Amino acid sequence: MGLSLSALAERKTLWPWLLLAPLTIYLALFFLVPLVEVALMSVTEPRPGLANYEKVLTGSLYRKVFLNTFGTALLVTLCCLLVGYPLAYLMSTVSKRAAMGILLLITMSFWTSFLVRTYAWMVLLGNNGPVVWLMQTLGIAEPPPLLFTRFSSTLAMVHILAPYMIMNIYTVMQKIDPSLIRSAESMGAYGKSLFRHIYLPLTAPGIANGSVLVFVICLGFYVTPVLLGSPREQMAAGLIGNQIEQFLAFGLGSAMSIVLLVVTLVILGIYHRRFGLDKLYG
Amino acid sequence: MNTLMRWIGIAVVIFIAAPLVIVVPMSFSTAASLQFPPPGYSWGYYQQFFSDPSWLRPAWNSIYIATMNTLLTMALVVPATFALVRHKFWGKSFANLMMMMPMAVPHIVMAVGYYSYFGELKLVHSKLGVILAHTCLSVPITFLVLSANLKGFDLTLERAARSLGATPGQVFRHITLPILKPGLAISALFAFIQSFDETVVAIFISGRDAETLPRKMFDSIREEADPVIAVISTLLFAVVFAGLIAPSLIKGLRRMAKGTPSK
Repeated sequence: MGLSLSALAERKTLWPWLLLAPLTIYLALFFLVPLVEVALMSVTEPRPGLANYEKVLTGSLYRKVFLNTFGTALLVTLCCLLVGYPLAYLMSTVSKRAAMGILLLITMSFWTSFLVRTYAWMVLLGNNGPVVWLMQTLGIAEPPPLLFTRFSSTLAMVHILAPYMIMNIYTVMQKIDPSLIRSAESMGAYGKSLFRHIYLPLTAPGIANGSVLVFVICLGFYVTPVLLGSPREQMAAGLIGNQIEQFLAFGLGSAMSIVLLVVTLVILGIYHRRFGLDKLYG
Repeated sequence: MNTLMRWIGIAVVIFIAAPLVIVVPMSFSTAASLQFPPPGYSWGYYQQFFSDPSWLRPAWNSIYIATMNTLLTMALVVPATFALVRHKFWGKSFANLMMMMPMAVPHIVMAVGYYSYFGELKLVHSKLGVILAHTCLSVPITFLVLSANLKGFDLTLERAARSLGATPGQVFRHITLPILKPGLAISALFAFIQSFDETVVAIFISGRDAETLPRKMFDSIREEADPVIAVISTLLFAVVFAGLIAPSLIKGLRRMAKGTPSK
């Protein structure tokens, strides 16, 4: 209390930044510098200029890969919604104990590594796996190839990302006041109209959160599409990886990285403006 | 509408559970390739995992890297979180955004950056390089978990201790730290898992010398789908399961010890 007012004011802004300093310096050195390096490489490798961007933004291969990436991310988001919404609904209507059971399952799935879940889908959809066996039993003599197709990678990504969607929707559904539903019913809203006018608008924030999260993660997904997808239908992250590891085309890989980064940041930026980024993962 | 949604919901439960259930019997299989149902059961692949250095080394590397990552992350994030939760200052919203940024950048983009940057610093193929990279990626989640805990902290407890004559150091040691311990433990756990599971950056920079478990698994799945992966999957799965179940088991045990029936 012996401090004068001006000294107190000074301490107020200095002290927090002192606490933040180590982390700020660390992130500048090991997060910002590598990112800047990617940006630099995209305009200097192999020679200075915008040739890499020209290629990435107009070349037919790149256009195909980016379109495929967006298409897949959109499809995965939609599937996660179609899968997640009913499950969140089921959880909010069953008994508390059953809801806890489902929650445990989803949490477990969430905490199980991407790789483990990708591997599990390889087993499930493999030539000697249960799905093919079931199809043969049902009389399909020559089941279509399931593994290493767009189907298998999409399915696995939906499975891996669905927990994000489910948790976001479930969180808002839990908060819906049951008396609101009852009063709507008492005024004659049933079935479809109850869902469209009451349930859907009330759960919209959860849908928005979950969709943004799933879409953005899917845009940059590397592991699952590379392991389970068709080599002919690559996604952006897979092609970036190829360019760095196989072709040592750092300029092209960096330019693609920057495009991917800008798209991701624009989507998250719009979201941040409207809702605040910290809410997305909270 | 309601019944339809519920049936879809039940189908989704099966969809989510199936891949988690399938790897367990696979790990005890005697088949040399991915075959389900397995032709026979044995401990063969467990023995193989626990005696094969090409699997054990990456496992130890991962544990070491994740531990170091956790220590470094906590040392950096704890003070920063105190600053952000407890103080109002110029540039605060910028600092908040800064903490979240590593989460917004796709890992493949960071992998490209680290590949070239750490190449210049001679940190590629080293554990130190992976630790330094993972620490950046662990910052956002650790910060989110810790700040949620710190926001719920009752400041009057600290004020009471101060008014009773405790020095700021004593307040921190005897009041703040003990109350915050569970929150610190959970955020440290998140940092550990973030590093232990991280695959993409590790694939690009860990090399043969600092090979992490996810990198080894990725290579192995890509090349031959070695059934040993089912063993690792089952083991990791058991750890997750134990981690989720343990808190409620402990709670139940405590209740039983106290003589009150657990519900």
